[in-house]
Amino acid sequence: MINTIGIWVAALLTLAIYSFLYKDNAFYKIAENIFVGVSAGYWAVVLWYDFAWPNLFEPLLTRGQWYNIFPIFIGVLMFAPLIPKISWMIRIPLTFTMGVAMAVSITQFVQGDIFPQLQATFLPLSGVSLFKGFSNLLIILGVVFTLIYFYFSKEHKGVLGIGAKIGIWFMMVSFGASFGYTIMARVSLFIGRIYFLLHHWLGVI
Amino acid sequence: MRVFDYLSHLDRRIIFLLVALAVVIPMLVPLNLPVDITGPVKNVYDKIESLPEGSVVLISTDYDPGSEAELYPATEAIIEHCFRKNLRIYMMGLWPAGSELGNMALNKIAQSYNKKYGKDYINVGYRPGGQVMLLSLGRNFGDVIKVDYQGIPIDSLPLGGGVKSARDISLVITFSAGDPGILHWITYFHARYGVPICGATTAIMAPQMYPYLSSGQLTGLLGGLKGAAEYETLVDKKGRGLRGMDSQSIVHLLLVGFIALGNVILVYQRRRG
Repeated sequence: MINTIGIWVAALLTLAIYSFLYKDNAFYKIAENIFVGVSAGYWAVVLWYDFAWPNLFEPLLTRGQWYNIFPIFIGVLMFAPLIPKISWMIRIPLTFTMGVAMAVSITQFVQGDIFPQLQATFLPLSGVSLFKGFSNLLIILGVVFTLIYFYFSKEHKGVLGIGAKIGIWFMMVSFGASFGYTIMARVSLFIGRIYFLLHHWLGVI
Repeated sequence: MRVFDYLSHLDRRIIFLLVALAVVIPMLVPLNLPVDITGPVKNVYDKIESLPEGSVVLISTDYDPGSEAELYPATEAIIEHCFRKNLRIYMMGLWPAGSELGNMALNKIAQSYNKKYGKDYINVGYRPGGQVMLLSLGRNFGDVIKVDYQGIPIDSLPLGGGVKSARDISLVITFSAGDPGILHWITYFHARYGVPICGATTAIMAPQMYPYLSSGQLTGLLGGLKGAAEYETLVDKKGRGLRGMDSQSIVHLLLVGFIALGNVILVYQRRRG
């Protein structure tokens, strides 16, 4: 019974949202507001039960991890701007967050992203099949010319200008592929909704 | 030409209607258009095939209902393959709702293969913390995961107690709709601990992943609903991926037609001045 009610609610909300394609209307606005409200409520519950309680309050209150007071104190300082006299104290949590994020990200980003990606452009042009050699050449040229486009310390004229123009062509191909995939993604989402309506709600497929 | 003038002022709601019909009709009357298998999808299949029985595959459901249409069919197809190969599944999620979606697929397919919770598969639920959590996880699972999604102590479950660190994981498969997701697994988990990573991503994310396939940081990839349809073909189980492919192909043809027609009208109008 609950499942049936859920399906009906989901189906009617889906139709309410799609009704916007005809024109803006009250049903669309109701569905939109329900979505915003449910999302806010959902995230409040997730933040409490998955972040704050198990990581901060539960260890502090039931296992005696008294030092959890420090992250709680730093977190509370995020609200410092609400009191103008101590608003400067927000710098403490912001500095802490930036410091940790940079320490974790920079080392791992260099090791896990920049170096392997750079290494992947050192490709053989001989001793491989003709097609593979051509593909490797395209990758190398694509990297070089795109980097030339992003070299801004000299005006893009002469050889540098030609290189930058070829770089633009490589990027255009990349944007085209991304756009094609984006269309595919949006159509897939629509297919998912139609499948839900025809299969779960109406039961015709 | 009058037709071109009419079309250049066409009410866009007619286009919406045509797209809707292009999706609905092939669903009601399937055309069963062929689906070609691409290299990145075959790589995922081959990787799973190459694992010995009993290996532990970590599945991370890093998406929410907004991407369910694209990633849930892939989740089902890959879980199906893993259970068919008698691999053990350790499921978790970097997105809160993803864990619940993964659980639906896991429980549904586990039943049909008589797999037992705790021994053949577990779900430890949503794990917040992004990159910091992944770095800790690879070093010692016990630091991050103490209970499963139902609150059962992880050490009391045979599979949970047996997985101590990244060394006990043979393969990570992430179903990813954004951040945190596949890039975190590649940059933080694969780079630090060397565990092979396969992924299923939304179609929007797929082009970004090709450099990682090329560098070998990513072993295989399922891009969007098309990737799911290819995988369903490989495991010979028709699901939502294959069901949606007819509609997807017809809509793409329709859109290509619209783009071509739009350009023809533009050239005509320019010539006419």
